[in-house]
Amino acid sequence: MQQQGGERKEEEPEAAAAGKSPGAEAVAGGWAWGVVFHFFLVNVVVMGMLKTFGIFFVAFQEEVGGSSEQVSWIGSIMSSLRFLGAPLVAVVCRRLGERPTSIIGAGLVGGGCLLSTQATSVPFLCISMGLLLGMGFACLYQAAAVMTAKRCRTRLAFSNAIARSGMGLTFLIAPFTQLLIDFYGWQGTLLIFGGIVLNLVPSSMLLRPVSTQLPRRSSAKNEDRGSLMAKKDSETLDGCLDETTHGEIQLRSVQDLPTTDGLMMSDGRDVSGPSLPPTKKENSQPLLDFSPLTDPVFCIFTWSFLFSHLAYFVPIFHLVARARTLGISSMDASYLISVAGITEMVSQLLSGWVADQNWTKKYHYHVAYLVLGGITNLLCPLATTFPLLMTYAVAFAVFCGGFMALVLPVLVDLVGVQKLHSYLGFAAFFAGIAAVGGPPLAGWLYDYTQTYVCSFLFAGACALISPISFFFEPSAQKWKLKKAKLNKGPTLG
Amino acid sequence: EKNITLDSAARIELSCRLDNKYSHLKSLQVTWKRGNETIRHINKTENSWSIQLRILDNSKMGSYSCTLKGEEEISAMFHLQVPKIEGKEKPIVSYEGDTAVMICKSLGYTPIAWTWYMTNGSEQIAINDSLLADKYVINRISANVTHLKILKLTTEDDGVYWCEAAFELGKSKGKLKLKVLSLMVPLKPFLAIVAEVVILVGIVFLYEMYSKKKEKCAEDEKEFDQVEQL
Repeated sequence: MQQQGGERKEEEPEAAAAGKSPGAEAVAGGWAWGVVFHFFLVNVVVMGMLKTFGIFFVAFQEEVGGSSEQVSWIGSIMSSLRFLGAPLVAVVCRRLGERPTSIIGAGLVGGGCLLSTQATSVPFLCISMGLLLGMGFACLYQAAAVMTAKRCRTRLAFSNAIARSGMGLTFLIAPFTQLLIDFYGWQGTLLIFGGIVLNLVPSSMLLRPVSTQLPRRSSAKNEDRGSLMAKKDSETLDGCLDETTHGEIQLRSVQDLPTTDGLMMSDGRDVSGPSLPPTKKENSQPLLDFSPLTDPVFCIFTWSFLFSHLAYFVPIFHLVARARTLGISSMDASYLISVAGITEMVSQLLSGWVADQNWTKKYHYHVAYLVLGGITNLLCPLATTFPLLMTYAVAFAVFCGGFMALVLPVLVDLVGVQKLHSYLGFAAFFAGIAAVGGPPLAGWLYDYTQTYVCSFLFAGACALISPISFFFEPSAQKWKLKKAKLNKGPTLG
Repeated sequence: EKNITLDSAARIELSCRLDNKYSHLKSLQVTWKRGNETIRHINKTENSWSIQLRILDNSKMGSYSCTLKGEEEISAMFHLQVPKIEGKEKPIVSYEGDTAVMICKSLGYTPIAWTWYMTNGSEQIAINDSLLADKYVINRISANVTHLKILKLTTEDDGVYWCEAAFELGKSKGKLKLKVLSLMVPLKPFLAIVAEVVILVGIVFLYEMYSKKKEKCAEDEKEFDQVEQL
């Protein structure tokens, strides 16, 4: 009975498309699309603001003064805090729940924008724009990503891809920003941006906690429904995951989900229904959870994540420069970039859809894309004319889009949704290190070798190194299972 | 046509040379002119003619032309100019009560002095920063760059400003536009957006309360059914 309930819940996002399933299931499916929509908006806003910072750069320099290096610090703080702040945000998220965190994030970004209009010096801007916006972005992104993972269980890859396609729309924001600056000056533009960001508050309200669906499903839960509603989201989430993992074990016999977690929880349930939430509270992780750092699966994932991010950022920076050194005009070079951007968007959607068909484990696709991307990068130095470079750009965009869309689904597959916050937080932290170190490293490579060829070879090498860790995944899962059985032994006996 | 930029007194030589493909033209009459005034020239070589000029002041600046009259008439023009001043194409947007900084650059050449003018109607009035020291501050940041800082902006400061660079051989102007907006101007769209946000928040909130009520009703019915079954 409960398992069927779990399965029905799985099909909600798909049923929502039909829109014909009765009452609550349609609502639940509708909320899933709402979450995807919110994540889409977050991507648009976050990426848009990060990319248009360059336009503000000039205005800041003229009015507020300060050297070019000082002003660029603001941008670096902003984009690096987005990643580096993730572990802290993960803690907040688990404490307060996603919805409040997201609203806080939107508030931080909006407040930072408004505060920046009063800026008179570069250090002021560093804090008001850099710090506040960076932390706000981290909050928004983490809450939205985890909520998407929690809501869209079957169609996670596709939903993730749809949300990520928001990044493709950011090319519209740059001319819009320029227009605003011409009309209102940079202060007025920041004011209006603050308002636009506040729009994320109602869309954050779409991140309804998953728990409220659960009580209707099982009769066992009815008795503590009252108490469940009152308790915090994290605990009820653990409760709701019982059913979904049950359903998942049925549906996804192919994938070895965190079966250890599933087994532990099902045993806990057999003990007693109502007392489950209290024990769960004790069992759930301490506030700043360092356990991901000791988990081999996490190491596998982070290794791959780090190198794939390095492989992603570097060619993007140097593609145009390389085109220029080969004698291609800047019009054609920017054409390259736009084609690559559109291809990436389309490829993300395709890859997400394909991954959701569950023909094989998601990380197999991930590995495949990375390997192909790495080979493409290694072959790039052979591209010396515009058509060849265009082919390279398209191929690279296809593979990049492919693996980028699968990052979140692969992480969810590896660690499950329950612990997603801490894992995602730390993974983002390490990705942030790559993001911060990547561009200077690429620049250094160019200065050292005086040619862009090296950067592409480096990116190709990174892309080939990163999937190596996935070969250890099956053995890591077995190790985890053994460890969990060892831990369980004493409690059962 | 050629543009020649001069900022200080100099001796220059302008020469017109006939290209080889035209050397078949015979009986050429060459005239060097400035406006209507003819200047004596020197026939340097067989196919080139030049004039030498001593430029000491503004009166000698302008356009010089050399004309070759034969079967066809060929001419070339030389424009002697003072260096151009770079102003700003787009208007500078600033707010009431704020400070605006206007920057003028001279490209490559160092002017003797800078003067700033503001346009009042159709007149240009020089800005005296010692007279109105708490309103205008003129700084010469470097030899080629000048800053005009206008403090405590009001809507009356809105308009066109000119920065004039004085060179030995003349003066050159750059145009800048200043737009002074009141704080209400961006505030209106902002408040409109905030109002829209509040409305959306209200809608989402109301919908949530409505769906919770529906859930509760459905729950109660279900519990009732289950109790009946039991």
